[in-house]
Amino acid sequence: MYSNSYLSNDPLTRKPLPERIPAEKAAPSWEWEINARTESGNRGWKQLLSYRHLLFRMVRKEFLINYQQTVLGPLWIFIQPLLTLLVYVVVFGKLIRVPTSPGVPPVIFYLCGIVLWNFFHESFLMISRTFRENIHVFSKVYFPRLIAPLSVLITQFLRFLIQLLLLALLLLWFVLFEGYRPAPGPLLWMLPLTLLACGLMSLATGLLFAVWTGKYRDLINIVEVGVRLLFFITPVVYPLSAIPPEMQGWMMLNPLTSIFETFRACLLGAGEPTFSGLAYPLLFLVMTLPFALHLFNRQGSRLIDIV
Amino acid sequence: MGNDILLSVEDISKTYQLGTFGAGSLRREWQDWIDRRLGKRRQADAKQELQALKDICFQITRGEAVGIIGSNGSGKSTLLKIISRIIRPSTGRVRGRGTISSLLEVGTGFHHELSGRENIYISGYTLGMNKAEIRRKFDEIVAFSGVERFLDTPVKRYSSGMYVRLAFAVSAHLEPDILIVDEVLAVGDAEFQKKCMGKMETGSRKEGRTILFVSHHLQAVEQLCSRAIWLEKGKLMYDGESRDVVRTYMADTQQRISEKEWNDPEKAPGNERIRLRKIKATPADGSRLITVHTPIRLEAEFLVYEQKGTLNINLTLETPDGQCLFSNGTPSAKALPSLQTMEAIVPGKLLNNRTYWLTLTVMKDHREVVHSFVRCLPVDVEDDRGEMDYLGDWPGMIRPAIDAQLYIKDLL
Repeated sequence: MYSNSYLSNDPLTRKPLPERIPAEKAAPSWEWEINARTESGNRGWKQLLSYRHLLFRMVRKEFLINYQQTVLGPLWIFIQPLLTLLVYVVVFGKLIRVPTSPGVPPVIFYLCGIVLWNFFHESFLMISRTFRENIHVFSKVYFPRLIAPLSVLITQFLRFLIQLLLLALLLLWFVLFEGYRPAPGPLLWMLPLTLLACGLMSLATGLLFAVWTGKYRDLINIVEVGVRLLFFITPVVYPLSAIPPEMQGWMMLNPLTSIFETFRACLLGAGEPTFSGLAYPLLFLVMTLPFALHLFNRQGSRLIDIV
Repeated sequence: MGNDILLSVEDISKTYQLGTFGAGSLRREWQDWIDRRLGKRRQADAKQELQALKDICFQITRGEAVGIIGSNGSGKSTLLKIISRIIRPSTGRVRGRGTISSLLEVGTGFHHELSGRENIYISGYTLGMNKAEIRRKFDEIVAFSGVERFLDTPVKRYSSGMYVRLAFAVSAHLEPDILIVDEVLAVGDAEFQKKCMGKMETGSRKEGRTILFVSHHLQAVEQLCSRAIWLEKGKLMYDGESRDVVRTYMADTQQRISEKEWNDPEKAPGNERIRLRKIKATPADGSRLITVHTPIRLEAEFLVYEQKGTLNINLTLETPDGQCLFSNGTPSAKALPSLQTMEAIVPGKLLNNRTYWLTLTVMKDHREVVHSFVRCLPVDVEDDRGEMDYLGDWPGMIRPAIDAQLYIKDLL
């Protein structure tokens, strides 16, 4: 009845027949279910893991599209923080004269702040735009939605590591030619933990705002202003010690404060790194991250309806 | 195999909130929240909601190819999105076994800046392929798309045809248990469409793949699918053998568009000398549907107010782009205040599958135009190719039955 004459030359029709699962006599056992309450990520970590190749490809894609076809290519990863550094040295160092940690060259001090702030700020903003940026893909195909923000986080972390290399080079210069002796405290091992805390902080807050800005578009404006404000109430261009002591307690309410302080303390030995310093940000994460993940997974498919 | 149910859709409903609710305005939601607190009922609740799907139920067994048809806004895409787990149903559930891949557009996950090679990988992973699968099929995909030479060129430099071919090639090599396809055939040139159809046909018939296929291309649904489901305004109208469902659907659609009636003369088209009361096009041979084979009866009723002379009516049938196909007149009839009817039969096996437009021009004494009812009725002619294999567009303003033969005259 149906002839496929025009198909006979198609090499693809010569595929082996897939194995058939023998027909079941009893009612079939279902492997999955979709209902009104299904979370978009309800098949859990195992499913997320099965999409790891997509995750890596998305990271790769970010690098390829950002640095292909630009004259300076990947050099931009270095140029951007260097330009920012120049601005900070002139504005905060020379004009406003914001004090930096004693004994630390301002250039090193600023660059420390810049690379970590870039990491937090870029990943937070990009993650908070997850639904707006990916709506065309999200509305056409299913994959665990968390893949998108995770790929941003990994991309930004790799960028951060590359920028850390720049910091290391500059540090080497100051050690060799300027006689600067950084004292990376005995708590250098806390550095990975600090970075993890910083990354997860951007993830947790980013996911929350991804859902909220998806739902209430008014928030988009507030988020951008808010992040700019956050920059000033986080010790990025000044150390916590430059703040009047009675204000320091308030500053510590910002979980980023101790992350930035610990980061510099670990690397340069400026200030006193204490393990308890990270306790507050970690506690903050324990409280917010599970909630953020839950909200993101639960609202993931609902937002597709309204974004 | 009869018992091997892969997918079970159970009482699926989907309701959308219309208006700005939940999207964009914090103030609005705040207001709603206060209203609820105060025990105020939200006004015009029903008006704010759109029922996109209502109590849809069906099951699909392994190896079935099921077509979903229905007019725009009937809920086809919503249904596919729910099954693909892109959106959630409001009530009901979908249960299933095995993997699902959905092709709701060509080129999902493609990025213009990336090369063809990169795009094959990222799109493949996005659609749910795994690494081994892509590795194994990479060469096949490239060969199928025919873009070997441009594999390392960013796809933004591709022609749109190449882009579509590459994108489709990736999708065509998916091997999920259930494949969901939405209107993919709407893209590409005829040659490529044929290739795609062939690929899908192979998938469903030879490899026993389960396919759920949404399309406006009714001929394709009829050819490709053994079973079809007709959705209308979110409700399941008919679920059965595809030819049967397609015929019923077409007959219903035609009837709706090819009949117009005005009960209030004030609102009817026309002027103070003549008004249209009713106009319709029906199959003249008693079949349900106007196809390329059926003769068409055109009927119109006029309220004539003209007092003197004679009237006749000129029928003009136009192609969608405004080419006149023919223009024929009725004999004259005496003009006096009355209800007059016109009837005309257009022979079968003459028109092509198009939507033609009927224009009626009322003439007085063969000289003066009383009124011209320009494009007052669409006449929708459906295709019916029987068992024919070719599904592409059939060119031509008309499709008369030409007796053409091909003989073997002499062996060489």
